[in-house]
Amino acid sequence: MDSAILTQKQDLESPRMLNGEFIFTGGGGDRRYAFSRQTSFRQSIEPHTPNDYSKPFLSRSASSIDIPPATVYSQDAAENLWREEAGFLAQEKGPVNKFSILLVVSSVFRILKSGNRLTKRLLMLIFLNVAYSTVELLIGLLSGHIGLVSDAFHLTFGCGILTFSLFAIVTSQKKPDRSYTYGYKRLEVLAAFTNALFLLFMCFSLAVEALHAFIQDESEHKHYLIVSAVTNLLVNIVGVWFFRNYTRINLVYRNAEDMNYHSVCLHVLADSIRSAGLILASWLLSLGVRNAEALCLGLVSVTVFMLVLPLFKATGGTLLQMAPSGIPSSALNKCYRQVISRDDVSEVSLPRFWELVPGYVVGSLTLQVKEGMDDRPVLQYVQGMYQDLGVQELTVQTDYTVNSHSLH
Amino acid sequence: MEVHINEDEHTTSGVIVKKFCGEVKCGFSDSKNSSNEEQERTASMRKLGIAVGLCVIFMAVEVVGGIKANSLAILTDAAHLLSDVAAFAISLFSIWASGWEANPRQSYGFFRIEILGALVSIQMIWLLAGILVYEAITRLLHETGEVQGFLMFLVATFGLIVNIIMAVLLGHDHGHGHSHGDHDHDHNGHGHSHGDHDHDHHEHDHGDEEQPLIKDGKKKKTRNINVQGAYLHVLGDSIQSIGVMIGGGLIWWKPQWKVIDLICTLVFSVIVLGTTINLLRNILEVLMESTPREIDAGKLEKGICEMDEVVAIHELHIWAITVGKILLACHVKIKPEENADLVLDKVIEYIRREYNISHVTIQIERE
Repeated sequence: MDSAILTQKQDLESPRMLNGEFIFTGGGGDRRYAFSRQTSFRQSIEPHTPNDYSKPFLSRSASSIDIPPATVYSQDAAENLWREEAGFLAQEKGPVNKFSILLVVSSVFRILKSGNRLTKRLLMLIFLNVAYSTVELLIGLLSGHIGLVSDAFHLTFGCGILTFSLFAIVTSQKKPDRSYTYGYKRLEVLAAFTNALFLLFMCFSLAVEALHAFIQDESEHKHYLIVSAVTNLLVNIVGVWFFRNYTRINLVYRNAEDMNYHSVCLHVLADSIRSAGLILASWLLSLGVRNAEALCLGLVSVTVFMLVLPLFKATGGTLLQMAPSGIPSSALNKCYRQVISRDDVSEVSLPRFWELVPGYVVGSLTLQVKEGMDDRPVLQYVQGMYQDLGVQELTVQTDYTVNSHSLH
Repeated sequence: MEVHINEDEHTTSGVIVKKFCGEVKCGFSDSKNSSNEEQERTASMRKLGIAVGLCVIFMAVEVVGGIKANSLAILTDAAHLLSDVAAFAISLFSIWASGWEANPRQSYGFFRIEILGALVSIQMIWLLAGILVYEAITRLLHETGEVQGFLMFLVATFGLIVNIIMAVLLGHDHGHGHSHGDHDHDHNGHGHSHGDHDHDHHEHDHGDEEQPLIKDGKKKKTRNINVQGAYLHVLGDSIQSIGVMIGGGLIWWKPQWKVIDLICTLVFSVIVLGTTINLLRNILEVLMESTPREIDAGKLEKGICEMDEVVAIHELHIWAITVGKILLACHVKIKPEENADLVLDKVIEYIRREYNISHVTIQIERE
């Protein structure tokens, strides 16, 4: 088992690319990858904290319901550890403190020190983009070229979104606390969604621009824009190179960071396609092709839309509490049938499963146990079965059948 | 079991209940038995529908006027109105979609669509604020005379009037009729729970009062989150219109003070962004599955632990599917000799009574 884990460690930053759509890798495979992936982010090894995703899944004991008592207190211990490491003051109120400037500045330093390779690359990318857009804005303002200013604005917006992605990566490493009982990992999914949304807006605005160019039918050569487009393209190609592992349209998401990095990659990819489109348009214009600008912009718009749509749907689905995409519904149905076929179970109701982040499934279930039967073996069985399927947190409520009650 | 099935069919109010895995499926059944919510939803939809209609009319007027006068400023304002229409359309769609029936893929129903729709709305507001700042900068760079100033002023005034009409339409609070509806509903709820014993206790989605926002007995009906988002959009537009009016007036009066226009726009953009912060925070908290603000999780935990039979409680998760619909899941450890069912009833009753959370899943464990 150890050697398998070691070999998987190389997979840490290059998720295995599998052709085609989402695949169900089965309980065993998922757990192995999940374990290897978690080692890079585990800040303190805390055995048996069910709310902590860095809990090694392989340590599941035979009786899954033997959850050690007073986990609430160990949560505080984990928080203390994080606090010491980061050196902040009280983190009790999650939402407000999250947005403090001190947090931001010190987290930048923390990234530089201890971040993942990809996180550092993201930081570099953001700096590059900020520098470039500032320069462009200044040049545009001073020389009075509106095209440069609009491009700079577009870049600035993009930078803001990328910064939010970075912020999500940093914040998502916080341990779950009182008000965010599921932790902060969802923030990465949210960042990916925001990225996808921004790209969709960009699509729409490109389409409008194409229409505008078509109607106006002006074919002026804006030479300065070519330079800006080429520089933009170069900057974005660097970005694509940084995130080259994620340049796929349909990606199997193993955990939250996958979605985030994928969205960043698509962002820079879309930007580079846009710049390339502008360059192509001006080249075609110089060749004398009519409506070249409208054509190219339209093409770019359609391409970016097709690029972004799967990510948008996946992140939207996770945020909408949709049934987990990693576990096919046939498997869930099979589990359901197995549970209900037991002798001591008379009914199963309200099975609900959702994905907190890709790879972490939460569920709840209500069972009706026949009267007189002990609920413990059923509980154990159900918990074990769903754990094998890949559901990390399951809450099972066991009711006894109607006939057993004479007290109500 | 028969009782259980009959209950669900009875409360479905005519809609065929979908079968999931061969079982009768209770969605997040508030939508099934709450005509109250239906009313609220249709009322919101009607408001937004009227708003969209008005917007489209005004936009058509502006487009025609802009083409006739051949003015870019008017067409730009028409584009802003188009964005309004888009925002309303998103809100309308969200409200309509949140009423869809739950299915196996969306086991909690479609209530989250409201939140995502509101998020998209707010992103649009931010985007528009950025676009307006950009336009102010282009105005600064374009060296044109006073005609621009006067026209700007006129167009902005027109836009402001339109937006004020919308704001009044959307902001007008509904609801004395609603509270009466709620009372009726309460009576029905009680009737049900007396009629059918155990299933009701454990069957959390049942005939309950639909006032999830009640705290300390106060009936505080907040606006539907999407109507709120649309209202913010309109409010933001009004603020921006005022800014543009001031800027246009200044340019008209003193054409050399162009920078003030830009400053004005920036200031007003920041104000608009400030109005959205509150809603954005609510949205983020729901999407992050955090404990809703109105529930004190510590107190709840303490209250449950104070019961004699309960040893400990862990893995407590309280989260909201949308603003106002709260779910709870936890593991409760009890003393080995206790009757699990009794304790379960007691805990569920406590949670429902004190915190008004009816969608609970509690796993009883013995030490």
